[in-house]
Amino acid sequence: MRPALPRRALLKLGLVGVGASMLPIPAMARTTAKVVIIGGGFGGATAAKRVKALLPSAQVTLIEANPVFTACPFSNLVVGGQRTLADQEFSYSALAEVGIDVMTIEARDIDPIAKAIDCGPDLSVTYDKLILSPGIDLRWSALDGYSQAAANVMPHAWKAGRQTTLLRQRLEALTDGETVLMSVPTAPYRCPPGPYERASLIAHYLKTQKPRSKLIVLDGKDQFSKMALFQEAWVEHYPEHLEWRGASDDGTVSRVDANANMVETDFETFQSSAINIIPPQKAAFIADRAGVTDATGWCPIDPLTFASTLQPDIHVIGDATIAAPMPKSAFSANLQGKVCAVAVARTLSGLEALPTVLANTCYSYTTPDEAISIAGVYRNADGKLQSVSGAGGVSPLAADTAIRQAEAAQAAHWFETITAEAFG
Amino acid sequence: MPRILFRTVCASLGGLALAACGGSKLDETSDDSVAAQTGSAAALVMACSGCHSSSSGAIASLDLYEAGLLREAMSRYKSETDGTTVMHRIARGYSDEEIDLITAELTKP
Repeated sequence: MRPALPRRALLKLGLVGVGASMLPIPAMARTTAKVVIIGGGFGGATAAKRVKALLPSAQVTLIEANPVFTACPFSNLVVGGQRTLADQEFSYSALAEVGIDVMTIEARDIDPIAKAIDCGPDLSVTYDKLILSPGIDLRWSALDGYSQAAANVMPHAWKAGRQTTLLRQRLEALTDGETVLMSVPTAPYRCPPGPYERASLIAHYLKTQKPRSKLIVLDGKDQFSKMALFQEAWVEHYPEHLEWRGASDDGTVSRVDANANMVETDFETFQSSAINIIPPQKAAFIADRAGVTDATGWCPIDPLTFASTLQPDIHVIGDATIAAPMPKSAFSANLQGKVCAVAVARTLSGLEALPTVLANTCYSYTTPDEAISIAGVYRNADGKLQSVSGAGGVSPLAADTAIRQAEAAQAAHWFETITAEAFG
Repeated sequence: MPRILFRTVCASLGGLALAACGGSKLDETSDDSVAAQTGSAAALVMACSGCHSSSSGAIASLDLYEAGLLREAMSRYKSETDGTTVMHRIARGYSDEEIDLITAELTKP
């Protein structure tokens, strides 16, 4: 935590930025603009680092409520029992070391006219450019019976941390022979293949630890990311331990009852002590407060700069954006953070933004040592993000185990790299 | 905080502070460095850095590649799948000119 009042008082008066600007200006001095980033995930931490690297004289502030970041990618391996939650945690000390002002506080409101961020009764932070990387919030009202209280009983585990541990504990406490349940929403949601990776690793746990149990996945849709590859893996590895029901097979969960450990579809009722509800989602509330969400609950952006199309001087990156065909992934957020940082640095330096080529690669584990991947390449010219036709796609079907194992090893390397890019 | 207060504080600190916190933040003395670090080639290689990064040597660091070898590999992956799990899917998204830019950027001294 930072020292309380003197610092806050200075910030409140806007004096910190002024003070910095009154220091002797080095020969390579650039803009002294104040760039604030809200949200220290793969998008925001990366953007903060990149803006500071490009504009060393700018005052770069990262506002993030949590002192430690807990990564969602690879958290399904915590659910599956292969990793610990501590393996998922990253500090912001490297960001502070390069001169980023890391504020461990929650942004509560944003006034896009005054360009001011309300961080509580005693603290307002102003900006010249704001980069929002807020991530997601769960739509608590979207699924009948599901609430923050219900999530303590039926964890979503779709924000990594305590919820991840809770789901793992439910699996560990499960009686062999009992059914595990998972509810999956319709798109768009964070990490499109994530539920199916989780299903695979839960099924692996059951197969090896609770062999008389099985997982039933109740899905609100009939098609999903890497579907053929997942289903191939499920037939091979989990024929007795994983059953997937799509929307046209009565898969859509219409109501839950946390007190009764119960999940309902249109025609059936299920009970279990281990229920994972992945609910519908939207951009995190601060995006709404900033006025950068549209009727969908997500944030429209100019793909060239990731500037909000709804408010000036605010950019939005990561899961909160409407950036399809780019998926809501850590890879996307990290790259969008870089593209956005470049656009902000160029704008503040009087340079026009340039179109470029973006990409995404997502790995999913099907067993603890086998993985599959999806990749995409995108162009951001002409006001839209478009997949490059002929590029991208998924791992081959019916591939040798060696290929699946190679992709699992690459996935682990990717995680090491992407976390170093954001937090290293 | 109210913007008006912010402006008042700035003004009371005199010209230098006012220049810093009000209006344009552009440095009048041009900035070749940002232009050089954010040109087309530098922007293209940002997509590579999600997996291949000098901040972690986990996946083959591209720093080790010699230009000819890197260009040859990227070009080969546009039509062949041997020797890679994912790069052939990605390489097909780039033109020959972009591969030249990427190669030059990643192997520049």
